[in-house]
This record gives sequence, structure tokens and C-alpha cells, in this order.
Amino acid sequence: MARWYRVEGFLLALATASSIMILFLLAPIAALIIAVDPKTLEEVFITEPSLSREAWLALATTLKASATSTAILVALGVPLAYLLARVSFKGREVVEALIDVPLMIPHAVAGIMVLMAYGRRGVLGPLTAGLGVAVDDSFWGVVAAMTFVSAPIMVDTVKAGFRGVNPTLEYVARSLGASWWRAFTTVTLPLTIESLVTGGLLSWARAISEVGAILIVAYYPKTINVLIVEWFNTYGLRYAASLSLVLVALSLAVFTGIRVVARK
Amino acid sequence: MIVVEDLVVRLGGFTLRIPRLEVVKGEYLVVMGPSGVGKTVFLHTLAGFLTPSKGRILVNGVDVTRYPPERRGFAIIPQDYGLFPHMSVHDNIAYGLRVRGVSKGEARSRVLEVSRALGIEHLLSRRPGSLSSGEKQRVALARALVVEPEVLLMDEPLSNLDPRLRASARAFIKGLRFRVSFTAIHVTHDIAEAIDLGDRVAYMEGGLLVGVYSPKDFLKTPYARPYISSLEPVLKVLGAGKRRNVLGL
Repeated sequence: MARWYRVEGFLLALATASSIMILFLLAPIAALIIAVDPKTLEEVFITEPSLSREAWLALATTLKASATSTAILVALGVPLAYLLARVSFKGREVVEALIDVPLMIPHAVAGIMVLMAYGRRGVLGPLTAGLGVAVDDSFWGVVAAMTFVSAPIMVDTVKAGFRGVNPTLEYVARSLGASWWRAFTTVTLPLTIESLVTGGLLSWARAISEVGAILIVAYYPKTINVLIVEWFNTYGLRYAASLSLVLVALSLAVFTGIRVVARK
Repeated sequence: MIVVEDLVVRLGGFTLRIPRLEVVKGEYLVVMGPSGVGKTVFLHTLAGFLTPSKGRILVNGVDVTRYPPERRGFAIIPQDYGLFPHMSVHDNIAYGLRVRGVSKGEARSRVLEVSRALGIEHLLSRRPGSLSSGEKQRVALARALVVEPEVLLMDEPLSNLDPRLRASARAFIKGLRFRVSFTAIHVTHDIAEAIDLGDRVAYMEGGLLVGVYSPKDFLKTPYARPYISSLEPVLKVLGAGKRRNVLGL
């Protein structure tokens, strides 16, 4: 009996800590929902053309840029994650630390770095301009800023996934006649799919949430975050809150949806 | 026939040297040696996962030293069996056939055939996670044998089994050789496996292949002594002193 009491006490402690945590997260969300005036919301997205046009455009830019950023990370970040997980080479730790730099620096600094590298007057400015992806106040600037800040999340998450797959399985597949690509797609990838989806989702979410770096690299075309900051300064909290609610609803819908699908 | 000539593999500070080794078709060669002498490195080099810095590997006269693993025709069974956890037993066994372009129907009948030979027909719809070690071992054997490899590379395939199961697994492999013809290189540090299963025993020490013997001759070498003396307490209790004299040890 004494043992059961102990277990129950432990569960109670867990439940208490969890409740505080959930309340802490829930309070700002609830506060935002309560604070939003339905009339203002309607004005922002439907009835007031000057506002709604800007709001929908910013939302579209955000979704398009964040999707492009995630696609770039899938194309370039996943191979990098696989390489770091499977191949040991001199200086791997330095490469891994470099990838994590955007996680630690202030967002504005990230923006300055991207601008100094890929901006018109940046080290690689002529190259990005030549390729038609100039970053100063352009869609590609938004994508570059988003990709820079969200890359560590994608690479680190997927790398952990690849490390969790026993390399012996790939060896066996190869010895049974599978090419490297076939072994990767039929054995490694299915066993890493959860990490890939998680990495993709988290990096996409991180890209959507970015504002500091974008403000510096590409104020235009405005993303929803830039517009929230602008409206907060121009029209006050009421209008900014209405815009913010869309982002919260979007993230809640996506994350809940993915979990429901994953469970099925 | 597999011929290994003057093979040198360097891995950090470790060097593997195989001056010469021949494995004829249908032979069961056991590679014996203490842990850390490079037995697995040797298997991985044969399989094509490691590139030797010197030497050649010939399969029926063709130099496959620079071939990628999938073109060598060597099927490996790792120590943990390496079954694909996201596939059913059937799909595990069919894997090698499917990647070779064998049709689904043909693959299915060949999987059934090999499963019958190994007595694992009833496991085909199961996932590897729900199998016992002995069952996993048979599935891994079936998966490797179904592609009819030039040689089966087995890395301590019985080490995950408890002693009782190990004895029955040895008997199973011996019996299987009567039903299915295959060539195997079996790595172990268990003398019972080497003597019981091997047509010949290759002994490695300090990264070097020191010799290839018949099981009986191997028991007479100084290399076998430490392994036999580890059995002494058992033999003593059983009063097997006479048997030891017969072996001349």
C-alpha cells in the first residue's frame, strides 16, 4: 500500500507541474482571443479593403516564403543532416557548431549577417543578383532570412533521426543488392520519417515566426509579422491583435491536424 | 570461388592483413579469433563497406575489390541480424528479390519456398520486433539465402542466443546445409561453433590471418589452447580427461 501512495504522490507532483506549465502557455493565447474585437477582425480581413488587402497579401507572402524556405531546407538540409549523422570527418564538430549559430544570436543580428553576405553590397551580393534572387527588400530576402534562422532546427532534428537508424540496416540492404539510393529510400527514410516531418514542421513554424531578421533584410514584401509590428506602431494593439489571432489559429490548426493524422 | 589476395585494410591505428584465403563453392569457412582482431573488419571489407588499401578480392576470377556492395553478390548477416523493423518478415525476406527486380508473385513463391526450408512459414506476417532471437536468426538466414548469394557473410550470428538455443541453432545450420547449398564465411570467437560448423577454420590474431586449418588440426594448434582450457572445468566434472588425450592436447 505504501508504494501505491508514493506513486500517487509522484503523479500528483507531475500533474501539478504540468498544469502550471499548460496554464502558463494557455494564458497568453486566451488573453489574445478574449482581447480581439470581432468587429475589428471583420474590418481587418473583410470589410475594410485598404486593411484587408494588405493583411491577406502579407499572409500569402508569409505562407509562400515559409513554404519555399522549408522546401529549400528539405532539399539541402536533409542531405547535410545525413552526412553529419553518417560520415565522420575532420572538423565535423566545427560544422555542427556553425549550423547552430543562428539559434544563439539575436534575430536582428541574423538579419544583419544575411544582408552582409547576400545583400546588394554583401560579399555574395553580385552572385545572388546574378541568379535573380537578390535579397534586399525582396521575396527572396524574406526566404533567406527565414531559411537562415530555421536551418539549425531542420538539420539538428533530422540528424538525430538519422543517427537513430542503425547503419547496419543500410549495409544489409546494400549487400542484398540495393543501390545506395534504394537502401536510403526503402530503409533509412521510412525509419526517419517522423523526424523529417517534425523537422519540417518545426522549421516551417520557426520560419513563420521570424520577424527580427526579416525587418532588416526585407521589410518589403511585408510578411504578416512585419505587418503586425507596423500596425502595432501605427494603429495600436487592437489591430495588431486581430492580425496576431490569425497566426495563432493557423499554428494551432496545423499542429493539431498533423498530430491527428500521425495518430491515424 | 572466392579468393582474397594480399589484402591490407587500414582503419585508424589498426591494420588488417590477409595474405591469402580461398573459399571454394559450397564451403563453410569459420573465421575464428579473439575480440578486436579484425574479424568484422574483414567481413565488412569483403562486403564492400570498407575499401582496402592494398590487395584483391576475386569472385570466380572477377576482381570485385572496387565493386559497390550491391554488385558483389555477398549477403551479410550482422550480429544483431539487421532485420528491417518497418517491414513484415515476408517483406524482409523478399527485399533482396524486389530490389533485383523480381516480380511480386515470383518473389512471394520464392519467399514461401525458403521459409518452408527454414521452418518460418508461420512468421511471414509478423514484424521483426515480435520475434524471438532464434526466429530473428532464421529470418535473417532466409533473407540472405533467398537471393542465392555467392557467399553468405555471417558476423557472430549465434552470439545473441543463449547457450541452449545456440546448440540447436548450430544443429539447424548443419541440417540446412543438407537441404540448401550455400557458401559461407562465419565469424565467431566460439570454438564450439568453429569445430561443429566449419569445413575449415581460419584463425586471426592481431589483425593478421595466421592460418587455415581443418577443425581437427585447428584443435592441435597453440591458438586453440586458450579456448579449450576455458572448457576444462566442464570437461573435468564430466571426467573427459581421456577425450582430451585422444585429441592430443
